[in-house]
Amino acid sequence: MKSLSFDLTVSLIAGIFVCLIVLPMLALFTTTSFGELVRQLKSPLVLSAVLISLETSLTVVFFALCLGIPVAYLLAMKDFKGKEILDTLVDLPICMPPLVAGLALLILLGGNSKFGGMLNNHGINLIFSKKGIIIAQLFVSIPFLIKSARDAFESINKNVINASLTLGASKFYTFKKILLPLARNGIYTGMIMTWARALGEFGATSMVAGCIPFRTETMTVAIYQNAMSGELAASTAVALLLLVFSFTLLLVFKSRVKI
Amino acid sequence: MGITLEKISKSYDGRAVLKNLNLEINQGEFHVLLGPSGGGKTTTLSVMAGLTEQDSGSVSIGGQDVSNLSPDKRRIGFVFQDHALFPHLTVFDNVAYGLRVRRIKGHEMTRKVENYLSKVSIVKEKGKFPHQLSGGQKQRTALARALVIEPEILLMDEPMSSLDAMTKETVRDELKSIQQEIGVTTVYVTHDHNEAVLLGDRVSVLNNGRVEQIESPSELFHHPKTEFVARFIGIKNILKVSLIEINNHEATVRISSNGPDQSVTIRVKKYPIFGKGKEINLCIHPKKIMLKREDEAVDDNLNRIRGKIVKKTNNGNGFMAIVDIGGTTLYAAIPTNFDCKVYENVWVCFAPDAPHPLCGKKCRAAETKRRCLKE
Ligand SMILES: Nc1ncnc2c1ncn2[C@@H]1O[C@H](COP(=O)(O)OP(=O)(O)OP(=O)(O)O)[C@@H](O)[C@H]1O
Ligand SMILES: [Mg+2]
Repeated sequence: MKSLSFDLTVSLIAGIFVCLIVLPMLALFTTTSFGELVRQLKSPLVLSAVLISLETSLTVVFFALCLGIPVAYLLAMKDFKGKEILDTLVDLPICMPPLVAGLALLILLGGNSKFGGMLNNHGINLIFSKKGIIIAQLFVSIPFLIKSARDAFESINKNVINASLTLGASKFYTFKKILLPLARNGIYTGMIMTWARALGEFGATSMVAGCIPFRTETMTVAIYQNAMSGELAASTAVALLLLVFSFTLLLVFKSRVKI
Repeated sequence: MGITLEKISKSYDGRAVLKNLNLEINQGEFHVLLGPSGGGKTTTLSVMAGLTEQDSGSVSIGGQDVSNLSPDKRRIGFVFQDHALFPHLTVFDNVAYGLRVRRIKGHEMTRKVENYLSKVSIVKEKGKFPHQLSGGQKQRTALARALVIEPEILLMDEPMSSLDAMTKETVRDELKSIQQEIGVTTVYVTHDHNEAVLLGDRVSVLNNGRVEQIESPSELFHHPKTEFVARFIGIKNILKVSLIEINNHEATVRISSNGPDQSVTIRVKKYPIFGKGKEINLCIHPKKIMLKREDEAVDDNLNRIRGKIVKKTNNGNGFMAIVDIGGTTLYAAIPTNFDCKVYENVWVCFAPDAPHPLCGKKCRAAETKRRCLKE
């Protein structure tokens, strides 16, 4: 009897959780009709936000790979002074509020700082541009790739790597032919998580790049702008599209993890 | 080419694992490194291959110092304790890996791979992935992968520890004949002294980071030099004795592990370490002990001790009698034509040159003269 009521309580609490997640999403779907959705998605402003979001987030995935794989390799394979520091730096962007990250980047890259001024003198202006968006998104999302790739590298049997070395392979050849293929699933997972994070990034992006329609307005920024200015229909359309992206990524992620 | 380790030391977190280790392995030799778990066997191989860096000392291969060469430059084949096959490659591609690294391609590559696959008889499995193989097949793949690059030195780390007794026997015989066929200098690590006898041209016993004894298997098994080696290779007959009298060629000793009222003296061949009143350990191989019935005549030249059979066992190499000679027990091999019962009284007989002191010194110098006699 007692245990039955306990089970019931737990189930009720789980029910509250389900409502918490599902009800808002239903609300999103019920505010709009299909026709309205299609009309909104065809509007140039929404279309440009989608394109900007895709362009920046995919570029971020590319740079995350280039920067993150070597860092992950270093953390997984080598022992060196300052390894803990590097390790902490990888975790930092995950814990740091994105707005703080955005503010820091704004100050660094802005024309008033030494570094930003130097860039400006060379004709490079990162603030209020797509490049700025990419840097902000990279900042907050690269840890996901590094952590995932690092775990994958670490789980490779050390003797398999040693075997490759004794067979005459250089470290680079071993990296290319043994480490990368064996860490493939972990790296894919990291890419998906990085992409999802970059796509959903709002705080740091809006600080660094502002909200210039057709230039720096990403999907998340568009949702915020439209909602605040009472354009609920446009806001919802973009939000639903973003949800579709997220669900697809989630599905791909789940199916990858199972392999 | 041979491989030489000179004064190798290695410690992990302040704990010494190899202590000034010296080891010289000759060209073409099948050398077995025998030792207990944690004795530093894997570390020794790893230092040879350059996978672990020694704290001090040097490694040379074929007379050339390779201490500063990375593993990929040392021309070494390594068979790992856990096989370490590349899980994402087929058997064929695993074996071909070392050739592809050397840019050997096309027909020549295929020919070489097939040749070694057939040497270790796994041609049929060449399309399979490692997780689809049995332990023995993994073992063979790992061997073919190490051999196909035609290394100067083949290092094998307990390659058979995961195989059942039957498979072990087949793979062992094949391994020995392949090694003889291609003549590659081989260092084989094991903790199984039977494997050491069956495979090794020479065996070195590694204990606690040092080589305790290097010898041919038969020499090692009949004349272990330290108590550790004796016990490790399964010798049970270790007699503590004190020296009473020493002549030109022989000495009289009293078995001190017997009780005082059971005092027994025997005659043994004289060794240089003997000194009057000294306490030493003697060991006797069970096969050198003859059991005789109480009423049987015994040759005057032999030592003769009265004893009682307390147990009969079979250790896999034939029947053994455990004989109590008054507080001390000895293992004696029972010849097939000797029928004895437990609790029967017998004579334990052995020649004066059967016991051998565990003196810790080398019996043989390089030129195979007995050093013991000269010293
Ligand atoms: N990377 C390492 N870090 C710290 N200690 C180590 C390392 N490798 C080996 N050791 C220690 O060195 C000692 C010898 O290890 P080693 O692997 O050489 O023994 P082994 O003779 O091969 O034993 P086994 O028969 O169990 O394989 C052990 O006490 C082990 O704990
Ligand atoms: Mg080992």
